[in-house]
Amino acid sequence: MVGVAVAALVATACGSSGSSYKGKTLQFGAVFSLTGPGGVYGAQQKLAVELATEVINRKGGVDGAKIAFRIEDDASDKQQSAQVTQRLIQEQRVVGLLGPTLSNSAVAAHPIADRLKTPMLAVSTTGFNIVGTCPYSCTYIFRDSLGEASAIPANIKTYADKAHPKTAVLLFPNDDKFSADGAQVVRDNVAKNNIELLDSIQFTKAEADLSPYVTKAVQRNPDVIFITSLGAIPSKIMIEARRQGFTGQFLGGNGFNTAAVSKAAGDAGKGAQSGSAWYSGNDFKANAEFIRAYKAKFNADPDQFAAQAYTGVLILVDSAKRAKLTFKDQAGDRRRLRDAMEKTSIDSPLGPFQFTKQHDVDQPIWIIAMDGRGGFSLVSSLNPG
Amino acid sequence: MRSFTQQLLNGIFIGSIYALFALGYTLVFGVLDVLNLAHSAVFMIGAVVAYSLVALHGWSFWVAAPAAIAVAGALGLVIEYVALRPLRRRNAPPLAAMITTIALALILVALVEQAKPGGALAWLWRDGANSVKFPPHTVPNDTFHVGGVTLTASKLAILVISVILMAALGYLVRRTSAGRSLRAVAENARAARLLGVNVNRVITRTLVASSALAGLAGILFGVALSDISPYIGRDQVELRGLAVIVLGGMGSVTGTIVGGYVLGIVEVMALLAFGTNVRAGVAFLALFLMLVLRPQGLLGGAAVERV
Repeated sequence: MVGVAVAALVATACGSSGSSYKGKTLQFGAVFSLTGPGGVYGAQQKLAVELATEVINRKGGVDGAKIAFRIEDDASDKQQSAQVTQRLIQEQRVVGLLGPTLSNSAVAAHPIADRLKTPMLAVSTTGFNIVGTCPYSCTYIFRDSLGEASAIPANIKTYADKAHPKTAVLLFPNDDKFSADGAQVVRDNVAKNNIELLDSIQFTKAEADLSPYVTKAVQRNPDVIFITSLGAIPSKIMIEARRQGFTGQFLGGNGFNTAAVSKAAGDAGKGAQSGSAWYSGNDFKANAEFIRAYKAKFNADPDQFAAQAYTGVLILVDSAKRAKLTFKDQAGDRRRLRDAMEKTSIDSPLGPFQFTKQHDVDQPIWIIAMDGRGGFSLVSSLNPG
Repeated sequence: MRSFTQQLLNGIFIGSIYALFALGYTLVFGVLDVLNLAHSAVFMIGAVVAYSLVALHGWSFWVAAPAAIAVAGALGLVIEYVALRPLRRRNAPPLAAMITTIALALILVALVEQAKPGGALAWLWRDGANSVKFPPHTVPNDTFHVGGVTLTASKLAILVISVILMAALGYLVRRTSAGRSLRAVAENARAARLLGVNVNRVITRTLVASSALAGLAGILFGVALSDISPYIGRDQVELRGLAVIVLGGMGSVTGTIVGGYVLGIVEVMALLAFGTNVRAGVAFLALFLMLVLRPQGLLGGAAVERV
């Protein structure tokens, strides 16, 4: 059963781009962290891109043009991310790109795509200055992943309005851009929600045992522990904090929003709350069909990262069909694709999706909580703006 | 005071893991003058195999753990026959052995991180780069609160097991015939061979014992810290293991044990004294000072007695 959203995109393509697409191949690229610590997220992204490619091509592609994705592994390494991005653009001659997985890698990869005037859509990077106010022009960079600057304040406000916590402690690794950016967002938002931040406890990603830091946090007796981190760290902190007698609330960001983290945290994570770009329980058409197709192909549940990557493919395909690509003038095609992406307006698994003028996400924010069994429940949703 | 006691316990606990892990390094370094950099991958494999047998195949932890230690020990044979002995045969420099063991480590980590549901290694691992933990109640892990200090059964067990194992290893090295052969090879392999010691056999046994220790340390790490992933060896203990053997005096068993505890405690004391930002920095500053001011290690005299 092919998704209606995809079918609609393909149908629109037939009407808009004429017959020049027939028999051609739209070559895209993706830079994901398939190995290294970011592999927790990259593996899901790769599966989602493969699924979207299969679904779209099975329906006839884009006005007769097949889509193809060359997916490269950046090994969660900033330099490798830059290298594979350059190779995809210059050697594989892709018209547009997805990725990279990590914000830390994006600071190296995105400037290269921008310099080579190739649209690159970030599908999971949520740190600062990815789009909009970048330290370079970033006119070819887009993002469909809800930034921490939107998700964390929405989550704090939702919880503060309900539970009125007075004190908090923040725990985060200081050698990771995503985590440090998230920590800054927390610091910027606690006071306006009448929460006193008792301590900001920093450590490095490679710490074997986080107990000493958790001890320091728990002994301040906070109402809330904020964790802005990726991978195994949030679940390790939750488990240790509960062991040490912490009974308060965990609040976090995108690092919470994968089933692997919820499963690893188990009982200790029950109720841990975060702002998310996606909620699996949403039953609107685009999401229901995405989940059904994903489960049918992989016999597993998708997560937020898969949903964002899948949406990334839908955005590129929708834009490509409106861009009137020539398949001859590569620089012109990349520019036309970029221009078309700016006018994106689709129904996606994330909800109704558009870009802001700064190429950032304009979509609903879903406030979710871990259910203690590896899943999530919906707390509330907030509309953009 | 409560915080100090809790942090001291935290330091002693993690020091046990550092010491247990670094003992394997030091045993191999003692007899071969080679840093076996596949050690961290064997540490990870120990945890992964035990997890797999318990979570994917329904084994009891008490059967799975010895089986995983045996698998880790068998990897010691692989390290010896694939990465070390061929180089020894042609008198390759120690640096070459470091490179081959790094390669072996990378291969083992890559095999695990690429294992997915439906893949060839799905019987071993299905979680790719994810971190997982043993299922609840795999081992009794009660939490005790004594005078405001939190103790968990798993951490206490690790402490006890580490101390017993380290004492047993010390006895083995000092008091048994196998230990004497080991020390003879560590002191001078050529002289040991002339005296009738089968040097290759001693080296093989050392690698098996060292790898089994790494496997055990990996399992204990997975139980106590609820973190099993392809990266637990490489990212979390490898560098500190190296720091411990430098602190203890390269190749000294007693020094390594003391070094493990010293590093664990110095790290948490640095956290208390200087705050969280500088914990790792202070630990490695201590290491730097040790190398400059006392290169023979904490317990070393003019020359450290090997193994």
